[in-house]
Amino acid sequence: MSKLQSRRQFISGCARYSLGLTIAGVIGFSLTNASSQQWLWQIDPFKCTNCGRCATHCVLNPSAVKCVHAYALCGYCDLCGGYLKPGHIARNTAAENQLCPTAAIERKLIEEPYYEYHINEELCIGCAKCVEGCSSFGNGSLHLQIRQNICVNCNECAIARVCPSDAIKRIPADEPYLIKGGFEHGQTL
Amino acid sequence: MSNKVIKYILILALAIIAAIVIFEFVSNNPDKRPSNPFEFNVDNYKAVDETLISYKETRQIAIKDGIPGAIAFSHGQLYLLVDDYLQVILPGGMEVFKRKLSEKPNCIAVDRDGFIFIGFENRIRTYDKVGIEINLSEVASDKSHFTALAVSDDLIYVADAGEKQIRVYDKKLQQKHVFNGESGVSDVHGFILPSAHFDLAVNSDNELWAVNPGLHAIQNYSETGRLRGFWSKSSFENDGFSGCCNPYYIAFLSNGSFVTSEKGLVRIKIHKESGELSSVVAAPEKFSNGTKAPALAVDESDNIIALDFDRKMIRFFEPK
Repeated sequence: MSKLQSRRQFISGCARYSLGLTIAGVIGFSLTNASSQQWLWQIDPFKCTNCGRCATHCVLNPSAVKCVHAYALCGYCDLCGGYLKPGHIARNTAAENQLCPTAAIERKLIEEPYYEYHINEELCIGCAKCVEGCSSFGNGSLHLQIRQNICVNCNECAIARVCPSDAIKRIPADEPYLIKGGFEHGQTL
Repeated sequence: MSNKVIKYILILALAIIAAIVIFEFVSNNPDKRPSNPFEFNVDNYKAVDETLISYKETRQIAIKDGIPGAIAFSHGQLYLLVDDYLQVILPGGMEVFKRKLSEKPNCIAVDRDGFIFIGFENRIRTYDKVGIEINLSEVASDKSHFTALAVSDDLIYVADAGEKQIRVYDKKLQQKHVFNGESGVSDVHGFILPSAHFDLAVNSDNELWAVNPGLHAIQNYSETGRLRGFWSKSSFENDGFSGCCNPYYIAFLSNGSFVTSEKGLVRIKIHKESGELSSVVAAPEKFSNGTKAPALAVDESDNIIALDFDRKMIRFFEPK
């Protein structure tokens, strides 16, 4: 007996199989996406050159980039190069002596002559001026990070596009920060 | 629509695309970008009056392999620590010998008899004149981090940045004293070390001088830790020290003057015994825009030898 299909049966069969494959593909893709790693933008502090573009090129204003402080590395010293501007008149909290353009670093006496430096993220604009001062004259405990609670995670990060040292990269969402002290120079993710 | 109109539209579209591409290229070119409005600028403090500069750079020796760590000069030879090797070279650059060390070294000093003392993380080893290990100290402490060594006629002084102490050993590597220094305030630790670096040196009168960077001070101690004198000067100008880790390295000229090097504003200067600025050896313009202060050694003619970590070379400065 002939098993030949009619043209109508053939087209109908093709359509059924195509529909089935499409549905399976969509489900498979969704499952893969749901279980795969999420990625976020972050700054490698060892590559950052403190160029200032994090403050001016983020789509958010003020920028999602903020200065963070690796307290374990800090010397807690009175003469902080990240807090006091070059040629400061006195080592105190007077605006004329502060390096930060928005006074976002708060200086608190721990015990003479040790001071703790805390970043007020409401005021920080991510300009890296303090980071440069700390890196040059101190031990680099101040550094920039993209704050993930503020970042809108653009597909193409506007800062990464203009970063001159290629310091901004995608990192896994389960380790969203590259804080100095817990992350070594040259470490691959 | 005629072919002619279509042609014009296509040419216009191509011109617009080309303009966008050129604009994008130009706007992303680092040289064309606007300057950083938040620039941290210390250029005002880099200028040095030419009359203040008393030394001139005469030559350099490049360090081709490895990362340099420390330098010393004694008996007409340069003693270099590069990676985990001890390298002894003549000032002309010819290698005398090279020895692999058993662990990564941090600091080095050579006594008048030619014995070589090398400080590692938390212990010292002694080597003879040809680099054969002959003695080893006990581990000082798990927290110890030795960063500088200096030798007098009878004693070895070690700067322990981890414990913020100076350890004093005899030549048999037996610890004789250990002290915290004095800050001038009774309840404050003597040595204020903002970073894990701590330097000291012994002058030709066998006097120990240690840097107290948190105070921008250089302090003279007896071997038992009694503060006998000090001087300090905080300033971004040439006459003082800035930032929280300076002076980074010190050495002595034969007349007792201090040779200092600094990070941040990278420069080498000479201060009189009183602390007053005497002259500048190398202005900031002599160094790359790095952050590392050069390590120092002084030869028998008061030539100053700087180990430039950024450029990986030994640089020789001679009096003008």
